[in-house]
Amino acid sequence: MKYTETHEWIEEQGSAATVGVSDYAQKELGDIVYIELPQKGIQVKAGDVVCVLESTKAAADVYSPVSGTISAVNEKLKEQPELINRSAESEGWIYKIQVSSPQELEKLLDKKEYYKK
Amino acid sequence: MTKTALYSAHKALGAKIVDFHGWEMPLQYTGILEEHKAVREAVGVFDVSHMGRIEISGPEAEQFIDRLTTNVITGKKEQQAIYSVLCRKDGTSIDDVIVLRHSPVSCSVVSNASNRERVFQHISSLAKKVIVTPSYMQEGILAVQGPQSLSIVEEYFPELKDIPSMRCLKLKQGILSRTGYTGEKGIELFASFEEIERFWKWLMSKGVKPVGLGARDTLRLEKGYALYGHELSDTIAPTESVSAWAVKLQKETFLGKEALIELEKKKRHQYGVVLEDPGIARAECKVFKGEEPIGVVTSGTFSPSLKKSICIVMVTPELAVGDIINIHIRDKPCRAHIVQLPFL
Repeated sequence: MKYTETHEWIEEQGSAATVGVSDYAQKELGDIVYIELPQKGIQVKAGDVVCVLESTKAAADVYSPVSGTISAVNEKLKEQPELINRSAESEGWIYKIQVSSPQELEKLLDKKEYYKK
Repeated sequence: MTKTALYSAHKALGAKIVDFHGWEMPLQYTGILEEHKAVREAVGVFDVSHMGRIEISGPEAEQFIDRLTTNVITGKKEQQAIYSVLCRKDGTSIDDVIVLRHSPVSCSVVSNASNRERVFQHISSLAKKVIVTPSYMQEGILAVQGPQSLSIVEEYFPELKDIPSMRCLKLKQGILSRTGYTGEKGIELFASFEEIERFWKWLMSKGVKPVGLGARDTLRLEKGYALYGHELSDTIAPTESVSAWAVKLQKETFLGKEALIELEKKKRHQYGVVLEDPGIARAECKVFKGEEPIGVVTSGTFSPSLKKSICIVMVTPELAVGDIINIHIRDKPCRAHIVQLPFL
């Protein structure tokens, strides 16, 4: 699993990858009450805002760690946005992406580097 | 940054601390939803020592405050607590306050944290035949709120039994008042830092849940209460706001009255709104009726009790309950409709 400076995580599975927000990010956001999910099939570039998390106090943008095409979204989050609070780095995943530039993954932080910050 | 007497107690409880107008205050302890629920269903305590009580005394104390605020103070019952707004001559709002009318010759004005210095300056600069003293450098404030609040607090302050809603009583430990900002039964205690710490510890030993500013905001918004800086401000008159009921234009005189009468025909209006499309409206989101821009959102949140997205809007035209509007959230129009306030 790799992390971004903007608090997303990404996990590779071959040419695809799963993306979510870090456990640190969910703690900072507090109770998440709504998520505006990205659309399946859209193309995104690394650093694009792909979706928005709304907590009881504020909205937070989620940036795509890599470029590619969004191949799936976690539909469960529509009904249970609190999954992100409960399990940010597993069940609370947000979307899957078909990675177009795998070299982008190399620039990301590993878990140790991220949680040191 | 300023800290209240309970700052280390908040830290020890694991509170997430935020900068609130220069104060290091607890935003939440365990989570906004859980704290919100505790106040609606049981009991919670808020440290609101950042708010400010200003003492006014003298033979004409109640008349003096009556002339400075929009609601009627003179002739009200002894120990009455009255919600009111302090206006400038031009009708804009300096702050919304609770006036504790202990007697015709002694009143307290309880102001918001962000405004307490300027409220004190304003009142002092106009003082005639009264003595104006800020109490906030020597005292703190706790609010205990929720359906179980009164029975618990009565164990500590037996005198509470005799205080009806929206009344207060001076005790040797401080002032106990049946007021709050949550719409639930509850009290506020104004007392020395020492007494505040003692009462807080006692409440913790009774299992009363500490509640932060996050839930304070969702609780007040469900009840349609104004928050200064949102529904009232330097550019919003009280007659334009959800607090319009506290403006008595038939009063003989008060500071700002002429300007407010002048504004009557062209004033804006605030309404409660429930969103139909998914999303959460936040302050400053633009409001449309059809294609026409008509105003902005002043406060918005997810209502933990109703499980709906709610907000207050301020618009130019008069609207009716049921009217459909669009709120632009991140440039996307979301369908919403006007409802009667309070939401809950």
